[in-house]
Order: sequence, then C-alpha cells, then structure tokens
Amino acid sequence: MSLNSSSRSATSNSNSKRSVTSNSNSNPSTSGNNSCRNNDKRNRKRKTDQNQKTLGMAWGANSRSSSRSAFRNSPFPDFGSYMVMKNQKLHQQFDADASSSSVSGACSGKPIFDGVSIFVDGYTVPSSQVMPNSEELKGYMLKYGGRFENYFSRHHVTHIICSNLPDSKIKNLRSFSGGLPVVKPTWVLESVAANKLLSWIPYQLDQLASETKKQPKLSAFGFKSGPVLDDLEESISGQAVPQSGIATLRTSCSLEANIFGKAECTEEVEECHSVSDDPFHPNAAESADQAPTYCMENHCEVELDAAVVVQSDAGYHSHISPCQDPKSDHNDCLEDHIIEESSSSKTIRPSTTGHSTLSDANFVENYFKFSRLHFIGTWRNRYRKRFLSSANGFKDMNPSRNAFATSQKTTIIHVDMDCFFVSVVIRKHSDLKDKPVAVCHSDNSRGTAEISSANYPARNHGVKAGMFIRDAKALCPQLVILPYNFDAYEEVADQFYDILHKHCNKVQAVSCDEAFIDVTDLRVEDPELFARAIRTEIHETTGCTASAGIAGSMLMARVATRIAKPDGLCYIPSEKVDDYLHELPVKALPGIGHVLEEKLKKKQINTCGQLRLISKESLQKDFGVKTGDMLWNFSRGIDNRLVGVFQESKSIGADVNWGVRFNDLNDMKDFLLKLCKEVSLRLQGCGLKGRTITLKIKKRRSDAGEPVKYMGCGDCENLSRSVTLPMATDDVDVFQRITAQLFGYFHIDARDIRGAGLQASKLESADRNMRGHEKYSIRSWLVSSPARKSSMAKGKGDQLYSDIGPPVQARGSFSGGEAYVAHRATLPALHDLDVGVIESLPPEVLSEINDLYAGELISFISKKKEKNAGNNVMDEEQSLSNPLVPPNKDFVHNVAEKIKSSEKEDEQYINKMIQGLPETSGSVTALLPETDSLMPSSLSQVDSSVLQQLPEELLADVLESLPAHRRPDFMSNDVYLDHIRDQTGAIDFLPSNNLWVGNPPRWVDNFRLSSCQLLNRIAVLYNKSSPRGQFSSVLQLIMSEYPLDDGGDDAVNCLCELMKQYIKLKIETDVEEIYTCSCLLRRLTSRSELFLQVYNCIIPHLQAAVGETYGGDLNICFIE
Amino acid sequence: MERKDNNQAKAPQGAGEAARILTEFLEVAITCIIFLKGVYPHGAFERRRYMNVVVHRARHPQLRDYIHSSVNGLLPFIQKGLVERVVVIFFDNEDFPIERFVFKVNLNLSYGSKVEQSDLEFSLRSFLIKLPVSESLTKLLPRGCRWEITAYFRALPEASTSKDSELIWIPTDTKQWQQPPLITPIKSMNSEPLGVQLYLEHPSLSEPKP
Repeated sequence: MSLNSSSRSATSNSNSKRSVTSNSNSNPSTSGNNSCRNNDKRNRKRKTDQNQKTLGMAWGANSRSSSRSAFRNSPFPDFGSYMVMKNQKLHQQFDADASSSSVSGACSGKPIFDGVSIFVDGYTVPSSQVMPNSEELKGYMLKYGGRFENYFSRHHVTHIICSNLPDSKIKNLRSFSGGLPVVKPTWVLESVAANKLLSWIPYQLDQLASETKKQPKLSAFGFKSGPVLDDLEESISGQAVPQSGIATLRTSCSLEANIFGKAECTEEVEECHSVSDDPFHPNAAESADQAPTYCMENHCEVELDAAVVVQSDAGYHSHISPCQDPKSDHNDCLEDHIIEESSSSKTIRPSTTGHSTLSDANFVENYFKFSRLHFIGTWRNRYRKRFLSSANGFKDMNPSRNAFATSQKTTIIHVDMDCFFVSVVIRKHSDLKDKPVAVCHSDNSRGTAEISSANYPARNHGVKAGMFIRDAKALCPQLVILPYNFDAYEEVADQFYDILHKHCNKVQAVSCDEAFIDVTDLRVEDPELFARAIRTEIHETTGCTASAGIAGSMLMARVATRIAKPDGLCYIPSEKVDDYLHELPVKALPGIGHVLEEKLKKKQINTCGQLRLISKESLQKDFGVKTGDMLWNFSRGIDNRLVGVFQESKSIGADVNWGVRFNDLNDMKDFLLKLCKEVSLRLQGCGLKGRTITLKIKKRRSDAGEPVKYMGCGDCENLSRSVTLPMATDDVDVFQRITAQLFGYFHIDARDIRGAGLQASKLESADRNMRGHEKYSIRSWLVSSPARKSSMAKGKGDQLYSDIGPPVQARGSFSGGEAYVAHRATLPALHDLDVGVIESLPPEVLSEINDLYAGELISFISKKKEKNAGNNVMDEEQSLSNPLVPPNKDFVHNVAEKIKSSEKEDEQYINKMIQGLPETSGSVTALLPETDSLMPSSLSQVDSSVLQQLPEELLADVLESLPAHRRPDFMSNDVYLDHIRDQTGAIDFLPSNNLWVGNPPRWVDNFRLSSCQLLNRIAVLYNKSSPRGQFSSVLQLIMSEYPLDDGGDDAVNCLCELMKQYIKLKIETDVEEIYTCSCLLRRLTSRSELFLQVYNCIIPHLQAAVGETYGGDLNICFIE
Repeated sequence: MERKDNNQAKAPQGAGEAARILTEFLEVAITCIIFLKGVYPHGAFERRRYMNVVVHRARHPQLRDYIHSSVNGLLPFIQKGLVERVVVIFFDNEDFPIERFVFKVNLNLSYGSKVEQSDLEFSLRSFLIKLPVSESLTKLLPRGCRWEITAYFRALPEASTSKDSELIWIPTDTKQWQQPPLITPIKSMNSEPLGVQLYLEHPSLSEPKP
C-alpha cells in the first residue's frame, strides 16, 4: 500500500513539474527524503528546477537586501519609520517656531486655531492680497495656535486647505480628503481677521459645493473643536474684499449671499439649524444630521436665500423691505426672512420657529399651507361654495340646452389665465413684467425645489415648470424667483370667476385659472368679440392676462387656447378644425398622458393627423374600448362632452410625500394623527363624510439611495390599504383608530417611509349622513330607554311574581299578544308584571306603561282580576300549613335522587319541581324569560314535604331564591322548617352529641338560643353560608366578620364539640372539607383568642382522626 | 367478613358502572398527575377534552399503555370493592418515595340504582380542575426520579380469581416511610355510590433521610 501510494505520488510529480518544484522549494528536507525514494534521473531534473528557482529568488532577495541596505546605513528600519521621524521633526520645528513667535512676537494673536490642523493641498494662489500661499498660511497657523501639516494624515489633519482641485480629486473626494472638510484659504484669513475661529462651512470649496449634489453628509459637519462662528458681523468687517461704497445692510446681505452661495444648499440648511440651535455645541450639527429630518423646504431655503434675491435685484429688495413685521403671515415668508437676515447681521439666527425639522410640530399644517397643489385642490371646494348657487341654476337649465344642442351649433370658449401663478404675484410690479420670473416655494438657487410656474420671458430661456431651481438658474441666471402668494391667488381666481359668471351662467371650472364657458345660449353674434370683452375685463380687474380659445367643442376650445397663448385669442371654426388638428401632437389632447403617448409613439403616431389614419376598431383593440373611442373622437376634433356641471369630488384626502422622514414609529403615529386631523378638517370643510378610508404609504425601495430632490421621496414603493366603514365619518378619533390599524398591516420600518397619504372616499353629505345616522344610531335606543327603564324598574323592583302560580295566565297573555313579541326586547312580559303593583301605580304612569304595551296592559289586568276571582287561588295570607300543591311523592323521589350533589343542575331541578305542580305544563319554562319568575311568591305555595326531602344544598338554594320581600312574612326559613318538622314529625329531638344531624343541623338552633353573641352570629352566618351545611363556608364568613367578639369558655367548648363532631362526620368522606376548616381556623387564631383556644383544642383531635383514617398528619397551612 | 361476601358476589349494576367510570377517570387523572409533575417533557402529552375539561393524554404508546392497562387491571378489584387506595408514587433515584398522590376510593357496592356517567361527571371533573392548580402544593422532583402506580387493597385478592387482565398487578414491597406522612388534601367527592378523595402525602419533617 505504502509502495503504491509513493509510486503514485511519483507519477504525479513527473506529470506536474510545478508541484514538485514548489514542494522542493518550500521544504527542501522532505524533498531530500523523497529523492531517496525516487530514481536518479528524476532527482537530477528536480535539481535543475531548483536551481532555476533559486536563481530567481536570489535576484529578488538581492534587490530587496540592496534597498534594505540603503536603509541600514540610516537609522530608519524602513520608509514608514522615516516618514514618522520626518513628521516628528517637522512638528518639532513647527512647535519651536510657534513658541518663539509667541514669545518674541508682540503681534502674536490669541490661539484661535487651537485644535485646528491644516494641510495645504493642490493649487493655492501664490502670494497675493487675498489669497495666501501655503507659507503664509503656515505663518498664520503658527501665530494663532494652529498646526500645519506638511504631509497629509487622517489623524493629524483637521482641515484641508486649497483653492482649486483637479477633477480626479473632486471625483474621488472621499478617498482624497478622508472625509475632512476641504476649505478655501480665505477661511483662515477671515478667521484671523475676525480673531476667532469661523465656521468653515461657508468657505467650502466652490467645486465641492456645486459638484456635491448629494444629501447632507455627516462628514460635512466634522468640526473638531474650538469656538464656532456665531458672529457674522466681525467677519464681515474684517473681510478683505472692499465693499465700502455700499450700505451696511446691503453689504451684509450680499456677503451672506456670497457665503451661502459657496456652500452646498442642503448643508447650509443643516448648518444654520445647528448654529442657531446651539452655537457652542458643534456636535449638534452632527446629531441634527444623523436624525433623518423633515422640514419645510420653504422655511429653510427661503430663509437662506433671501439674500440671493436681494443681491440679484435691489429694486425688489427695496420694495419688500418696508414689510417690517417678521412674524407676519408665512405666505410672505420671503419678506420675513429678508428682514430677519438683515437683523441677523449681528448674529446668525435663522428664523425663529418651526425650523428644527423633527421638532416641527405643525409640519403637516405648514406643509399644506405652503403647497400649491393643495391650493389648487382645495380651491375647488372654495369655488363650489362660492358659485354653487349659480352652478345649480345652470344645472336646471341643462335639459333645454341639450335639446338645443342637437339643432344648434355650440360655441364654447375656453379661458385660461397666462402663467397664473407668476402673473398674479407680479401683477403689481410692472418692472418685473418683462423679466424672467418664476414662482417657487423656495428660491435657493442651488436647491432642488421645483419651479411651479414661469412667465413667458423665463420660458423663452427654457425655464419650465417642474424644473429644479438650480437647473433653471443655470439656464437663466437672471431669473427672479418669487414665493407663492396664496391670498392673491384666491383673490384673482375669485375675480376671474366673478367675471365669467357675470357674462355667462354656463361655466365649467377646470381649475382656479382655467374654465370653459358655453355661450351657445347667449346667441352671441361674434364670439370673438365676446371673448375679447371678457379678456379685457379680466385684465383690467386682475391685472393679469388671460388667453381664450373659441371652438365648437371643449376639446377644440382648449386647442385654440393653446394656440392663442400668451395673451391672445384664437377662434377655430368647425371647418378649420381638421387643419388645426392635423399637425397637433397627440400629447396635446386631453386624456393622453405619458404612457399613452409612449404607446402611440411606438406605433409611429405623433400627431393627430397620423392618429386619424387608424381605424376606430384597431384603436379600441389596442387601447381598450373606451380609450380607443376617445382617441378616435379626439383626433377628429369630436368632443361630445358638455360644458358640464361642477364635478363633485370623489374623495378627499391629504398626501404628504415631501420631507417625510421618521426616526421611529412614534413619529409616524404623530404624523398620522396630524394627517387624520387634516383630512377630518377638509371633510368638515366640505360638509362631507367618508365611508372608505385609504392609507397610502410611500416606502423607500431597499436599493434606493437618497433622492436627488432634497427631502424628496425618491424611488418608492407605493403601498395602500383601505377599509370601508359601516357608517360614514369625519371624526378624527375614528380616523386615527382606523389609520393606526391600517398602518399596522404594513409592517414597515418607520425609517423607510417617504410619504403618506390618507384618503376618505365614498363620500356622503354630512347632512344626509346625519339623518341616516340618527336612524341607526344607538341614540334612538337611548332615547326610548328611559321609558323602558322605568317599566323595568317597576317590574323588577316591586316584584312581579305574585301571579306566577297559575301559569294559565301566562299562556293567556302570550296568546293574547303579538305586542308581547314586539316588545320583548324592551319590556318585561306582561305576565311578569305584578298586577298589584301595576294597579297601585299612579294613573298617568299606568297609562304610559299601557302605551308601551300597546294597550295590552289594561285588558291584561282586567283579565287577571277575573281569573283571580274565578280561580279560587290561594291568597298570600293563607296559612303556612296549608300546602298549595298536594304531595307528589314519586316526583320528589326522582328529583332528589337525580340532583343530589349536582349544583349545576339546580335550575333544572327547580324547573322540574315546578313541573311537578299539577296545574303546570312543561311549556311554561320556555315561555318565561327568567327562572326567578318560576319561584312561587311565597313558601305557602310550596309543598313542604317536597322541600323536606330536598338535599340540603338544594333546599338552601330554593329558600335563597324566594322573593326577598316575601321573607318578612316568615320569621326565618328555619322557623318554617321547624314548622315542617313539627308538622311531619319526621325529625325527633336529637341529643346534643349529634350536633350535625338535621337540616339545619342541630347546633344552629342551639347556637341561636345561646347567650353568647358569637355563637348567635355563627348561627346566623350558617344561614347565609353557601354551600349550606359546610362548616368551612361558615368559617369563611366569620373571616370577613369584624370585630370578632370573644365569648368565654362556654363558647370555646361549644365550638370544640361542634368541630369534633364535624371532623368525625367528615373525616372519612371529605378530608378536603376538614382540611379547609382547619386552615381557616388557623387563620382565625391570629384574630381571636377564642379561636386560638378552639384551634389548640381541636388540632390534636383532628390529627388523631386523620392519622387513624389516613395514616398521616394533616399538613395545615394558611389558605388565602 | 361482610366484605368477603361482597367479594364473592359480583357488584350490583350501579356500583359496577361507577367502578367503570372510576377507572376511566383514574386513567385520565393519573396521566394528568404525570403531566403535572413534569416527569416527561410536555411534548409527550397532547391536549384532550374529557368531561368537558382540558386534560392531557400521553402520546407515547408505552406510557399510555402502562397507565391504561394498570388502571384497567384494577377494574375487577374495584368492582369487588377490594381497592382502598390507588397511589401514584414518585421516587427519587434511590427509590425513596418523595411524593404520593393518593386516590382514596370508597365505592358503595350495595348501591343498586342505575348510575349515569353524567351524574358523577360533575364531581369528578372538579378533580381534574383542581389538579393543575394544586401544583404549588407539590414538591419539585429531583432528576432521575421514577414513578409507579400502587394500589392498596383491603384484602389480598384470592389467587383463584386471576385472569389475564388481573395478572398485571403484583404484590409489591415498595419502600415505606418510617413516620406517618404529612397529608395535604386536594379534592374530595362524596356521592352515591362513589366517594373519592385525592390527597398528597409527603414525608414528615422527622422522617429519617436515607
């Protein structure tokens, strides 16, 4: 075997030289051994291999040793240690310089750069007035307590200084800078000038600021230590750039603009927050950044860039500066912040409220306050309220119009305000009319805020709505960006519609700035003239221009407006429709969106002309019946839509998908609550209630990074869940509960949420709702309940059992009344009523109850009276000894046997007992709702012999369930039972040594007659105890008695004797009971001397008895 | 002497039925005790319903069989009124009994009326309810313990009556405690014709340790 294996290894060696050589190389000794086994030839060959290899090795070794030998001459073991030494030396030099300068230099400043260690990299402008070179920087560092590193090291360097960087370094910024801030040399200069360490953020390299289009990075806030800028003024005063000719305010503003312009916008935002929040805790910036934040873009960006606007347009600045109240409406936030900026020339103090992102409690409110889409959305509601009456009038006229439509050619005018959102804002500034202006909620020139609307001069520069500001600014640097002015929009929109409604009563509002009017009925001679008049009026009233398109259909009117814009008028007569449509891109048609457009493009269809070539059938086949139909019609200019009524909204909701960032579920829950409030408010505003509640969540895709748009939602998964309620609601609490429930279904990490929306659909009018609500609500029940209650109370409280005896009555009443069935839920059955009680009621109450019983009551009572007279029923006052029911021995026997010890079946037993009564039929039990009502009104109606033969537990229950108010009729049950005993003679007088014989046991009577109060009490408790006959239950009751009065020796003896006999009685059969008793007794010992004596007396006896029967001792412990 | 007569004669119908119900109940109750004491992992039992209460039944066939056959083997003796106590004894690893669950049986053999299971069910059920809540009264078993079912007869059964089923039961010389044990009653029932008392026996404090 071993031979085999070695030969195999030999062959493998010969097959692969490399393995052999490596083997020999790595382990020469084994190779030697191997060689002994192998033949010479192979051996020789391996040697040559080895030689070759060693040759190469030797070369490598030599080269290495040669390089090492160079070092060996020097004291450094290698290059690394050389550098360490070099750095050390440089540091020492630097330190020496620093100390000498600080000692010698009277000019040496305070150590503002303490803890700062700079590294100058790349290109710095050679010595000039403004831009220092690295030597000068080194000098500053020396002078002001900083460090200057000749070589970059992540551990020593805190800031990298450079004025320009090569592209490669920019692209690979992280690896180059190691996450350290890259700052311009001006920072050092200005810090020196300010005589304090300024924040480096504004001095970040331009390239980085503009190139880094990422979300704020943690590294950007990597302050090391030292004081942070909180005073801008000093830096301004010390600034090297001369700006002497300009007013101070202006200077500061422009400077700020300059500064912020250099920084990356999002970082500015963060930075400002941190500085403002906590100027002396630079880490605040970090924490603020770490926390995913949501904040109002408006706030942050407007606040920061107010200065930019000021810089770019002095006139505008002068115009707005008179607005002096910094806390005025947020719609004027631009103005606010300019004021604030100017006032903050002393200290950087970004605006006062609501900016600290996560802490912005009113995020949702503010969000919608500043949302244009929200404005447009809610404008509809406003319009509806304002013009509903006229719309209604229009609706009424609709039929006649339809009749007309067939015969007469319709004329529809589409009026659309020109760049509404811009022109409204600038309508009062004629100077801005010809300048490119855009409206945006933020005007940070580098921001990712989207332009909402741009005027025509701006559009000429290529600025479009939906563009990021920074892109727009790139296209048109002189672009003026203004914030929304929602009040103005509302005002102008109202004016706009006022005019339209004045001229024509058939107005279909499309949006706040766009409407169709149907002038067919007006029989206008010249629609163009009419439209022109409207346009002129709009212009005069609002100061804004509107374009109008006139055509025979809504579609064509819209197309005409497109052509007419801006500030024009276009009339497309029906004969020219084809011409206009032919070249019209399909995209321009309403109802054709991106998806459809793409589909059409794939089919080489770009214009309506091309679309017209396709048959209706094939369009319907490709795009579905409806869409195909629409395409076919629209491409021919056919639009059968009427200038219709105002469309009711199908759903009302609120969506937020910007600035949504949460730390944990609690944030989300708070947010949802706010959303609920918002939706609820909107519903209430519209007077509507929603039945279906839909929660939509935008969840960040796992692979999606931070979105390009600052605080945007980015690439998201849209999740949605809804629930339909049985009743429409606008209640915040309901919304909240359901929303929380819906949210729970998503099982989503709060940090992944990028947007949320809550919608209420299946809307119902709140008024109608109210009526429905009333109908089904619990309130209707509650309203009727007092009457019900009173009758119930009468029924219950006064005991209605007197009439139970003859069940025939019950039958009679049942058969006599559907009313009984109808009122079952609310009223006690007629036969449950105590006639005596009813009769004694005041007449008005009686009539009320009679009403409740639908008049049955009176007849019932009279019927009953007759019965009572005729039936010869025993009266309650009859003697006890006269049993109502003759003894039925057989029955009693059966029952007693069956039910023995089965407490659960007591009820059944009672039923049986009643069934045993001759007059009773089995159906009674089913008819009667309460078992209690089965009980006879008094013991007089019970066969005493039946009772006597009952097991004791059962007897107790029967007695217990006797009507309480009947009790006083008898001294006590015991008396009654004594009575039975006397009567039957079955129970003889028992000797005192048989205390537990009888029912109740003998001792009960003895104790009751005793002079000892405690014993009396025990006797009473026995009657109260349940289950009856168990002494443990008596002891239980004694436990709850307080105080326990002591009774003397007699009582002790009595109790001892009682216990002894009890033990004797029970020890064989019920050791559990004995055990419970002794445990209770033991507990009582701590409360009463008497029971201690009893206990001590009993225990030996007990243990003896237990030992005798069970061969052990009872393990007595406390029972809780 | 009177008992012997009873032994000879077969128990009347009612008592016989009660005995059958009792054995069935004992099988369930003993399994519950075994489950309660955690001798076997809980997975060895499955939840079942007996007399409308949740009980546990052994899943392992051998365990189930042992309990079943031993209790059923008792049936003839119970019917004759011979069985006084049925005890589940837990021994430690030195075969020293540490805990005994005693069912003291009292069957009225002269009871002639018909007995329905439902009549006894209520009382017997209370045992099954009380058992799980009595765990605190019991002792924690040491590792490596052992258990067995022992029946205490009022008199030694005669050899002649041996049938196959009765051969399961053999005389035993289980170690006994020197001192009278401590008794902790768990549940008692006393109805016609059956009375059952369940109590725990623990070695008394003065019991010499082996």
